[in-house]
Amino acid sequence: MKKYKLIIALTCIILANFSCNEDALDLSDPNKLSPETFFKTVPQVQSAVNAAYVDLESIQLFTRNMFFMMDNLAQENLGNEALDPNFAQFIDYSFDSSSGQVKGYWDSCFRGINKANFVIGNEDAINEIADAVLSPENKAKFVGEAKFMRAYYYFMLVTRFGDIPLFPGIIEDGDGRPRSPKEEIYELIISDLQSASTSLLTKASEQVGRATKGAAISLLGKVYLYQQNYSAALAEFNKVSGLGYSLDPVFENNFLEATEHGVESIFEIEFNDEERSRHSWRSDASGTAFASFRGKEYGWKDWFNVYPSDDLLDEFEAGDPRYAITFYTTGDSYIGGTVEIPQERRAGWRKYQNYTVHSGEDTSSGINFNAIRYADVLLMMAECANEVSSQSEAAGYVNEVRARAGVPAISTGLTKSEMFDAIIHERKVELAGEQIRFADIIRWGNASTELSGSNFVSGKHELFPIPDAEMSSNENINSADQNPGY
Amino acid sequence: MKKMKNGLFHLSSTQQWFSKPLKLVVILIALGLFSATNSVSAQNEDQKTLQITGTVVDNANSPLPGVNVLVKGIAKGSITDFDGKYEISNVKTGAVLVFSSVGMETKEVAVGTETVIDVTLNSDTQSLDEVIVIGYGSQSRNEVTGAISSVKGEKIASLPVATADQALQGRAAGVSVINAGSPGSGSVIRIRGLGTMGNNNPLYVVDGIITNGIGDLNPNDIKSINVLKDASTTAVYGSRGSNGVIMVTTKSGSKSEKVNITFNAYTGAQTITERYDLLNTDQYLDYALSAFDIVPTTPSSTSGVNTDWQDEVFQTGLMKNYDLALSGGGENSDFRFSAGYMNQEGAVIGTEYERYTFRMNSNFTLGKVKFGETLNISFNETDAENIGGGRSFLEHAIKSAPYLTVYNDANLGGFQGPNTAGDFQDAENPVRIQLLGSGVTDRVNVAGSIFGEWEIIEDLKFKSQVGLDYRSSKFNAFSPAYDDDSEGATHARDFAIITKNTVTAQAVILTNSLNYEKTFDDVHNFELLLLSEESKRKTSILDASSQNDISDEIEQLSDNGASVESKSFETNRIGYLARLNYNFDEKYIFSASYRRDATSRFGANNRWGNFPSVAAGWNISKENFMKDSNFSNLKLRGSWGIVGNDQIGDYQYTTVLNSNFVYPIDGSYLFGTTANGLGNSELKWEETTMKNIGLDFGLFDEKITGSLEYFNNRSDDLLMNRTLPLSSGFFGSTVAENVGSVKTNGFEATLAYNDDKGDFTWGASFNIGTSKNEVISLGTTEELTGGLFEGNDISRISVGESLFYFYGLEMDGIYQTQAEVDAVLSADIDGVDDGITTLQTTVQPGDVKFIDHNGDGEINADDRVQIGNPHPDLTYGFTADFAYKDFDLSLFINGVSGNDIYNTNKYDLEGMTRLFNAGTSVLNRWTGEGTSNTIPRSGGAPQNTAISSRFVEDGSFTRLKNITIGYTLTDKLKSDTISKLRLYVSAQNLITLTNYSGLDPEIGNFNKTFDFGIDRGYYPQPKSFIVGVQLSF
Repeated sequence: MKKYKLIIALTCIILANFSCNEDALDLSDPNKLSPETFFKTVPQVQSAVNAAYVDLESIQLFTRNMFFMMDNLAQENLGNEALDPNFAQFIDYSFDSSSGQVKGYWDSCFRGINKANFVIGNEDAINEIADAVLSPENKAKFVGEAKFMRAYYYFMLVTRFGDIPLFPGIIEDGDGRPRSPKEEIYELIISDLQSASTSLLTKASEQVGRATKGAAISLLGKVYLYQQNYSAALAEFNKVSGLGYSLDPVFENNFLEATEHGVESIFEIEFNDEERSRHSWRSDASGTAFASFRGKEYGWKDWFNVYPSDDLLDEFEAGDPRYAITFYTTGDSYIGGTVEIPQERRAGWRKYQNYTVHSGEDTSSGINFNAIRYADVLLMMAECANEVSSQSEAAGYVNEVRARAGVPAISTGLTKSEMFDAIIHERKVELAGEQIRFADIIRWGNASTELSGSNFVSGKHELFPIPDAEMSSNENINSADQNPGY
Repeated sequence: MKKMKNGLFHLSSTQQWFSKPLKLVVILIALGLFSATNSVSAQNEDQKTLQITGTVVDNANSPLPGVNVLVKGIAKGSITDFDGKYEISNVKTGAVLVFSSVGMETKEVAVGTETVIDVTLNSDTQSLDEVIVIGYGSQSRNEVTGAISSVKGEKIASLPVATADQALQGRAAGVSVINAGSPGSGSVIRIRGLGTMGNNNPLYVVDGIITNGIGDLNPNDIKSINVLKDASTTAVYGSRGSNGVIMVTTKSGSKSEKVNITFNAYTGAQTITERYDLLNTDQYLDYALSAFDIVPTTPSSTSGVNTDWQDEVFQTGLMKNYDLALSGGGENSDFRFSAGYMNQEGAVIGTEYERYTFRMNSNFTLGKVKFGETLNISFNETDAENIGGGRSFLEHAIKSAPYLTVYNDANLGGFQGPNTAGDFQDAENPVRIQLLGSGVTDRVNVAGSIFGEWEIIEDLKFKSQVGLDYRSSKFNAFSPAYDDDSEGATHARDFAIITKNTVTAQAVILTNSLNYEKTFDDVHNFELLLLSEESKRKTSILDASSQNDISDEIEQLSDNGASVESKSFETNRIGYLARLNYNFDEKYIFSASYRRDATSRFGANNRWGNFPSVAAGWNISKENFMKDSNFSNLKLRGSWGIVGNDQIGDYQYTTVLNSNFVYPIDGSYLFGTTANGLGNSELKWEETTMKNIGLDFGLFDEKITGSLEYFNNRSDDLLMNRTLPLSSGFFGSTVAENVGSVKTNGFEATLAYNDDKGDFTWGASFNIGTSKNEVISLGTTEELTGGLFEGNDISRISVGESLFYFYGLEMDGIYQTQAEVDAVLSADIDGVDDGITTLQTTVQPGDVKFIDHNGDGEINADDRVQIGNPHPDLTYGFTADFAYKDFDLSLFINGVSGNDIYNTNKYDLEGMTRLFNAGTSVLNRWTGEGTSNTIPRSGGAPQNTAISSRFVEDGSFTRLKNITIGYTLTDKLKSDTISKLRLYVSAQNLITLTNYSGLDPEIGNFNKTFDFGIDRGYYPQPKSFIVGVQLSF
């Protein structure tokens, strides 16, 4: 009988002896952080915020593709023989929905939005950190940085693609979102920037390189301007001058590594070449890539893939000192001696080149890209004033920029239309090669005149095509939803 | 024994997880010892009995040691000694003695009044009583209802292979083995084709312990390999059985066996004789000028050097193998020790494999308790071929310019590389890549098990088994600074790189079971198994590398450019199994099993899975109406069941963060962290429903045997990485989901003939298998692609097609005239209605003519179609063994038929994209109308080298895998000590019949799943020639 009891006991052992060990099946990945336990410390919050910036440095945006795409579209650049066909297609407008560069632009911006949403969507968790550890002001500031970055990426998208998928928070599922009307996108951008402009710190009290109150206000004004809400825009821009920004007396200081973050600088994309060769051909913004390809790609002494077009060169008034700072021409001097522009071109780019300090460029240029600077704000103020205030007020802003450059003031008594033309001219010259002109032309609606002679097709090229890779991965966007003409 | 107990208790204190069951095992073992002594004393009380003695001999009148002598119906018996003698006391008159031994027919003798009973046992030519090892048990061949292929140890030993998995090739129907040529590298094994787009590797079970592969076993230690192919055999492994199971049983000693020593040795050489036809220096310089208008102007191009880079990288490698085994047994115990050493130089320079193995198996019987252990220790060192610039050594050998010398003392490192910009720089000196520096992987594997089995009451056994598996792998690489040309632009690195990567893995698996086996009324045979199993596996990885800017002398890590990373993984599983086997007089057989498994690889909602199976068999030959037929065996059997696959990697269901983002702020590099991707907490098992029907037959006393199988499997909930919408913006751009379905079906047939009577004996066996897979569903995904080559994917998965088929443009010759071009390329390609006709003008006469499948007048990605299928229609193997007196001869042929290979080497040989060395076929390229319809013009349209049928070839082959001639001179020695001496010579891979143009048609997907059938210049399998000796004492 004993044995039968034992057998029953053994059977029970076999059937039940592991029930208490089911805990052993609950494992978490020891190699990776978990979202459930994140946002508990200040360095964690800060780290999540840092991530929202990195896509700016993607090779698909400012590290490489952006300057080619935007300067080429505006016909500020023309291509030399060596120019990669993938970039040449933005000069001749032959790009389509299969373009890797269009895909990269879309992809990088949405990656940035995702990273910003990781912070914004965890605002509650951030607020649970004790105030003594992280002050309420700093909590708001961190969320504000993420909101600024989300607005920045969305603004890049909405201006180039129109209606786009809207992600107001953390994505919980893998479903594709349809295109939301661009008005809804703008609503999100404006509310993000309004919030950021109250919570972000001023440039003086923030780390160099982070989004500031001035950046949020400037971008908000720019967004209003793009919506032709001139009075709201002007109101925002007026706040900017109150924050202590002014024009750098030396124009070229805006484009040199040694003088980054000067008085004129409002928001910069950070590059750093301290560790040489830390450039990266990676497209996903992971890892360590802090340097731009621009110097090597544009440099007349280096790859010289593009050169400034006659249309741009001829825009400069005779005697405008900005010409010799924006371009090199044969006979100029640089640190390596006398400039000789190859391939019988009239000029090569000087803006954002390192030839004042290095005799040659490498693939890791450390010059920051000055994405929003005060001269741009002044010229946008002029545009607003010309619409809702007075031509003389507008002239004041324009002349401020011209005076710094060392060119005479514009004639007085211009009509609204003449003033508008003067602003168009001034922006083209002052902001040449800064990836601003193409967006300007599109919002002004005068592309057919400004881009005459190019393959620009009205009604089509105002927007990029939705990339094929989005349509194949998103069940809610298909070829019927494509932008017109593609 | 005491030591062993201590060991177990020690384990229980450190491994809290196992504490309870282990303590129980020890208590039970102790209890078992106690009760065993009790029952022995009880038997002494029997009355009116006889003491029987006798001798057991075989039909050659030689004494048979180790024969079991049992009194039928009671648990009482004896074993014959070295002289075949036995003694058994207290036997009642009228009792029946059962004499049985492995490989002999069982005989029953009734006890009358005589006290001496001598018995002659005939050798068992029939395989029907053969014991087949199955999951968690064994069955006689008669009772098997599932699909099992067996390969016996003698077959494995007869073919000298470096690793045990290679020995399976061609031996079993439905088992595809693809070997690699590199010494020490594993084989790709697929059982019944592919059932998933994920991991298709079978499960390995060695001596009842689930393990990670069999590469660390000495092939000579293997007694048998059984391949479990259908649900009724694999469902007992539940969540891990869907790719089939390879069960390895290692050799052990026999009880009452006198000590037996065997020694095997062989030595030989291996070499690769196949070559691509490449341009020599003169041809190369002509080609450079005529095709690319390039004149390499460096002095060496005119120095008369003519290097054959293939000859430089291939060599004749020597190999040797020794193993020694010692086995024996006493009345209540048996043991076997073995040691092996193998050293194999590769047929490619700088490749080598060396392995030491030790094995110790023993079993003990103490009354009603049995103990046993197995232990395998292996050290091996692999020096594999190196990759330079992401290209194989073969690609470098093809592309290197023939006018370059191999060595140049003037250069740092001592090698010469391309030294003019005229030769594009992709090709690096392949000899330098293979020989400069070192890259060696040292592996240690310690795997063992211990079990105790206690017969609690008659027919009821409790068994507890613990298995341990420890593996470490250390990769040490040192790559010194080099400069392949001190004068020009070329491959150079001015610092040394030191890499040290370590992986350690340990697994513990504990199995407890109760087994009840009883026969009622002589005809109702029942066996019931209840079992629980838990396993725990931990892996840790430490990768470190640094550089050295100042010296090549120190091969150690330092702070100079250091990078380190560590990772760890853990997998825990628990499972329960119940299995019932019943047969009626071995005539009607029924079997059912149910396994319930859980794994840490899935989230709490889907952690448990249920895996049932049922099977039935009908031994028609046992029916009365078959009594007079020639069928010695005729059995119909069928099975159905569900098995799972959890080979998806750890922690996939969790959502994790990624901290690998950096942005410079305020002059510092700041780390950024964000969500890596979308986790899927609903991840669950892949499930395969398997159906199998089989027919076994034997004719004329098993002189002719064979079997036929048909299987039909369907795998559902396949794990797929669905591409997330691009706009979701996750770093991890895919999410794992259970959405795919694949069905696989096929036939298998085996036919064997065996004549073992007389001086001349011979046997032959032929097996053939087919397997066809088709994708049924991919959820919302239309296609998946992979197999990246030169920027484009070769392979594709889509609904209605086989997995991983090749997808590309279809070549239809070469355009000979502009009229031919215009006839195809007529569309206005820019799509702008501007009255300007823009044609695909890059394509001209001399370019490849592709078929415009969608008829839109242009050739683009929309014209791609299926251009090849990497899966064979048939795999087959044929063996024949002949013996005449002391001579023996065996042949072994295997092959595949109907598969395609995508030959990327052809791109290098005939692509003519840029100037590298190339195949001689470029000399016959198109140079004008009518000059070639297969090789286009040089420097033609980029489309010429697009993924297309131009690079697809038939991969069918038939290979004489092995031929061996042996001579046994035991009789002539007339030695008392040597019981067997055989000398043999053997050749492997001697003849390969194939139309494939590459060096070796046997192409596996050694790196990635999508690489099935893509030849990326892999290490070809060498021919080898061996002389060996087998000696027994």
